[in-house]
Amino acid sequence: MADWRGERKARDARIEAGRAHAQGKVVPAGEATALLDAVLKPGDRVCLEGDNQKQADCLARALSQCDPARVHGLHMVQSGIVLPEHLDVFETGIAERLDYSYSGPQGARVAKMLYGGQIKLGAVHTYLELFARYFIDLTPHVALIAGVSADREGNLYTGPNTEDTPTIVEATHFKNGVVIAQVNEIVDKVPRVDIPGDRIDFVVEADTPFFVEPLFTRDPAAMTETQILIAMMAIKGIYAEYGVRRLNHGIGFGTAAIELLLPTYGEKLGLKGEIATHFALNPHPTLIPAIESGWVRQVHCFGSEVGMDRYIRERPDVFFTGADGSLRSNRALCQTAGLYACDMFIGATLQIDLMGHSSTVTQSRVAGFGGAPNMGSDPHGRRHPSDPWMKAGREGQVVGDPALMRGRKLVVQMVETFGEKLVPTFVERLDALELAKKIGLELAPVMIYADDVTHIVTEEGIANLLLCRDADDREQAIRGVAGYTEVGRGRDRAKVEELRARGIIRRPEDLGIEPLDADRSLLAARSIKDLVHWSGGLYEPPARFRNW
Amino acid sequence: MAGPDRDRLSWYEASARQRLDALLDPGSFTEALGPAERRMSPHLPLFDLPRAFDDGIVVGAGVLDGKAVFVAAQEGRFMGGAFGEVHGAKLVGLLRAAVAAKPAAVLLLLDTGGVRLQEANAGETAIAEAMRAIVEARAAGVPVVGLIGGRAGCFGGGGLIAGTCSRLAVSEGGRISVSGPEVIETNKGAEEFDSRDRALVWRTMGGKHRRLIGGADAFCADTVAAFREAALRLIADAPAFDLDTLVAEQDRLQARLDRFGDCRDATDIWARLGVNDPDAVPAMDTPAFEETVAHLREATHDAR
Repeated sequence: MADWRGERKARDARIEAGRAHAQGKVVPAGEATALLDAVLKPGDRVCLEGDNQKQADCLARALSQCDPARVHGLHMVQSGIVLPEHLDVFETGIAERLDYSYSGPQGARVAKMLYGGQIKLGAVHTYLELFARYFIDLTPHVALIAGVSADREGNLYTGPNTEDTPTIVEATHFKNGVVIAQVNEIVDKVPRVDIPGDRIDFVVEADTPFFVEPLFTRDPAAMTETQILIAMMAIKGIYAEYGVRRLNHGIGFGTAAIELLLPTYGEKLGLKGEIATHFALNPHPTLIPAIESGWVRQVHCFGSEVGMDRYIRERPDVFFTGADGSLRSNRALCQTAGLYACDMFIGATLQIDLMGHSSTVTQSRVAGFGGAPNMGSDPHGRRHPSDPWMKAGREGQVVGDPALMRGRKLVVQMVETFGEKLVPTFVERLDALELAKKIGLELAPVMIYADDVTHIVTEEGIANLLLCRDADDREQAIRGVAGYTEVGRGRDRAKVEELRARGIIRRPEDLGIEPLDADRSLLAARSIKDLVHWSGGLYEPPARFRNW
Repeated sequence: MAGPDRDRLSWYEASARQRLDALLDPGSFTEALGPAERRMSPHLPLFDLPRAFDDGIVVGAGVLDGKAVFVAAQEGRFMGGAFGEVHGAKLVGLLRAAVAAKPAAVLLLLDTGGVRLQEANAGETAIAEAMRAIVEARAAGVPVVGLIGGRAGCFGGGGLIAGTCSRLAVSEGGRISVSGPEVIETNKGAEEFDSRDRALVWRTMGGKHRRLIGGADAFCADTVAAFREAALRLIADAPAFDLDTLVAEQDRLQARLDRFGDCRDATDIWARLGVNDPDAVPAMDTPAFEETVAHLREATHDAR
């Protein structure tokens, strides 16, 4: 007789074991490790919530203090390797295998531990594909998640940083898993129910509020004239040219400069309402002036941003908010929106090679992918037309029946030819390939593949890769905007001039832009304080961004 | 860009030359040892570092609302406005010339992280010489007024020089201190002073705090016009440089230490000063802040 309820029985047994440490569902912070010791079994797949924003940090600490004799060989399936504890568990043997997506600040240690064999790596994913695998072959046995508050029934308020929580709970709870939430406080009634209580098995009252990284705040005071010039070219040469209304921005200074130029330079070009109206985007503080001057109609968010909560609450026509008034974000859905419902992704990268492959990997760091490749790729499953998508499709169409043409998503890389510490952005060969060889990755960590990239914008000009007709066109188009890097100086001058005549390369002067006009006085806000003023005092920047 | 618009030009954003252009009466500035003369640092090439034709400081004579003044402006965007040998010598030369020429004032547009590490001995010497030259100028009856509101702030030896001026004007973005935030953190630990907590940095070293405790004598909005107006006011009420003033300064500083020496945070000091809602100070706009200052007696004094 087959037992069709083996997993269910195992789940019930885990919950029963955990009950010894709980009053109802509530567990004091001091008992969190004991709870995990009781619930976890060797070899479990465990999802420890945390990405590039919020962290279930209290539970991460509790897990790292488990007894390796009891809890070992875990298979961690989680969005982010961000906190030191996320890697400590691999050093003590509590965890053994890893499937993840993003590892910004821990990138160097991840690389070292992969090289040293302390981590058995499944794969580095994009957010969306890791979420997808939660429902196919990486379904967690136990999920450790973070929320703002919960009641005694386990009804969970995630607050504005909902992020990954609904997806993790969906995959875990409905497939016989145990869900443990840390919350900042236990309340009688939550402001709104983000996750119904019957999907939450234990609630740990954390000793400190969960950590959120303000990853999307760019200080306008640090914006350079080169970034402003590149932003002007992007607005005039791409946003206006294609009439891009629905889009996603990266997190760098370049796109922040675009956000701050919309109400000034964009206004002067008469583009209001014609471009940049609908975003899949975190609530960037630098977007405030564009929102306040009526450029932005709607923004759906992956997560929130530290300090933006009061502002968002007062702008429900623009943001997605709950009945309680606060933001409701959702990473999985926003990634999907960025993939399928946006006509353009524009962002920066660290290295671009001669074909246009790009990577944020350097020789000693595995930073992971996060969500950029989801946004920065042409979705072959898209079937609805739009003007920018069709125009890009026409430009890229080389062969075949025009009646069978499909559109193209615009994927724009916006970089300075030399990055931080004057390291060249353009290279013959990506460091990612070297790293992959060194630590034995089957797939080189390429952030955006060349066949997805449509444009590269640098201070020297725009290269439109859609219009390139062969590999030589493409290589020279990239060299032609690579400035004084080795790659740029290796250009064929005659060929580059030919590409310019064909409109494949466009210089600032070809776009009617005078580089000396790229001045900081064009920015709608030149400091964090200006952003506070724009917001009518609603934006509350974290201390590290204040100079008052 | 069109000609300088001193009402709109942000002091914080402007270069040293833009500040001088907009500060002085139009067309009145004559530069000494300008970039065309190529008086550059002899030391920086040893470190393979780029030089500036003016070594990061602009000195000369001009007219401020009809009064002849000498001016020096540091360029905070070149090596953080730091003092090197040539940079310091230009400042000292200007101050010494003021003793003989007796302009209505010397204005120091300070924007500096302190001494340039690559020419530290020459830079330290320059700081000492500049302090002595300021004292000599003041003794000769020439007020020396410091204007501080640049990105680099006024740190290290720049903070010492500021301490010897007749009067100081500062904006909210301006910072005045000797040891910078990172230096304190490195020596005393992040628990003592977290340099990444910028609100703490500004609370401790920023323009509002310096104005509230009387370290600066005028608080300006971040425009060149506001600094011009403050400079004129401070020149007019600069104290005589005599024994009475120095004794009063000693007493003022001693009293300040006695009264606030045990405070853990600037907000404790502000509360003790009699500010009703210290936590509200950082967010105050200029008029509200000036209103607050007007009610405090420590902020105004006849010492220095």
